[in-house]
Amino acid sequence: MKRRLDIPLIATLSILGFFVFIPMVSAFEFSIRTPLKGGYGWDNYIWAVTEEEFVHYILRSGWLAAATVVITLLILVPTLTWLHLSQSKIRPFIDGLSLLPLVIPVVAFAVGAQISFPELMQNTVLELPFLYFVLALPYAYRSLDIGLSSIPLKTITEAARSAGANWSRTITAVIIPVIRGSVMATVALTFALSLGEYTLTVLLHWDTFPTWVTYVAQDNILGAIAISMMSLILPFAILTGLTLLMPERSSQGGK
Amino acid sequence: MGFKSIGEGASTRGRAFLTFSPRSFLPAIPFLLIFGYFFLFPISRLVYVAFLSNEHTLTLSNFVTAFKEPYKTGFINSIKIGLLSAAITAIPGALAAYFIETRGPSKLRRTIAVMSGVLANTGGIPLAFMFTAAIGLQGRLTKILKAAGWDIYAGHFSLGTFTGLLIVYLYFQLPLMVIVFSPAIVSLRKEWIEAARNLGANQFNYWIRIGIPLLFPSFIASFLLLFASGFSAYATANALTVGNLPLTPLQIGGLLDGNVSAQQLNLGKALGVVMILISAMAVVPYLVLQRRAAKWQQR
Repeated sequence: MKRRLDIPLIATLSILGFFVFIPMVSAFEFSIRTPLKGGYGWDNYIWAVTEEEFVHYILRSGWLAAATVVITLLILVPTLTWLHLSQSKIRPFIDGLSLLPLVIPVVAFAVGAQISFPELMQNTVLELPFLYFVLALPYAYRSLDIGLSSIPLKTITEAARSAGANWSRTITAVIIPVIRGSVMATVALTFALSLGEYTLTVLLHWDTFPTWVTYVAQDNILGAIAISMMSLILPFAILTGLTLLMPERSSQGGK
Repeated sequence: MGFKSIGEGASTRGRAFLTFSPRSFLPAIPFLLIFGYFFLFPISRLVYVAFLSNEHTLTLSNFVTAFKEPYKTGFINSIKIGLLSAAITAIPGALAAYFIETRGPSKLRRTIAVMSGVLANTGGIPLAFMFTAAIGLQGRLTKILKAAGWDIYAGHFSLGTFTGLLIVYLYFQLPLMVIVFSPAIVSLRKEWIEAARNLGANQFNYWIRIGIPLLFPSFIASFLLLFASGFSAYATANALTVGNLPLTPLQIGGLLDGNVSAQQLNLGKALGVVMILISAMAVVPYLVLQRRAAKWQQR
């Protein structure tokens, strides 16, 4: 039925495509310029990748994002499992809390964070994963919530428990695999958000991959454009690959 | 310090605690501790400090200054860019979501969902580069348009102006609209069109009587979220402007960095509180509308 040429769909996609790709392709064209030799080449990309700081900052952003993912899953999966199982009266209250970060502009949150935490904590980059956790919370919480609502959680848990599994084993070996679609969506979302976070990071004077580009731009603009292109295309490729590989149902959830 | 924050996190639910046995909330403690310390605590402290003078006495003077120039223009510009960027992208975004969700094959829909997710989060330097490369002074599109006889730089245009920034904001606002509006489209049931047809409605009747009234709350909700996103965007504005365009997020950033000196140390906090209030006026109705729409969106 949908195999025929669909004019409105094609029109929509072309307009969106132009809008999205003109700036992207223009920037790409700049990023492959080689002003010294003339013409085009991958020089700017090679320059960027061989910079010592490139590896340093990409690793740093990577582990910060990974830490955020771990914190998110470690806190949310048990809490939500319990909320779903116990029919606790505080569930609506916690549901409401999880949405609060949407209300607060990141700039205001950054000011609050700067004046609240003790020196000791502001001096360690470890504060960032916890703050990223807060920023991703409204999406992560909802995604896992949808996943847990769509399975017969009670039956599954009782089965696991009566087969002798303790709680941590029930969660890691049974619940997480059952809702892996939601978990994957949460991981992808939290990881992408942490990897690209700029406002909070720069206002709290930390340097990560996204803020490093600012410095590069000051002395090698084409190199900085190349880095920007990579920071756009990589999550794009990884996430598209993930969604297309994942089975149909699991693409639910997310934002 | 840590214990103080625990107290602050818990205080809001003081009454609720009394009626529950410990079993009914203990498993939620880790979440409440982390959330309380890393979110509720900084926000309450922000609000408190906004009311402090340089001498640590309670005062309203920070807020008085916050509503004077240049901060007044900052708020007006920020609200304007939020409203305009949302108004321009809401209808095209909704239409795009409709065509993609109702006519696109599954793989396409999922790819677009991922792309929108990435694009809605682009901002800052990468976005600034893309638009400079396209419609900057030396941009590709600028040159093409110039060759075609339209010099966009003939007037006062530049990417660092209000109009320039507005155009750049559309780049993340449009995908955001597609993301937040798609769930509403997905939940429009085929049966409803068929039922309407059986009762003698044509396409037009269906949209006027059923489709549009059903989608309208979600549309308004999406609009409000877009407003909040445009209103509070920082990274892109920071990358494209050089202090020539007063916008509240930039002013707060400047005060926080100490790039801008103010007589009142806590002025930035007051600006932050006003921002939260304006943002809440959009996001809270968004959440309420979404929750109501969710009732019929369940399958």
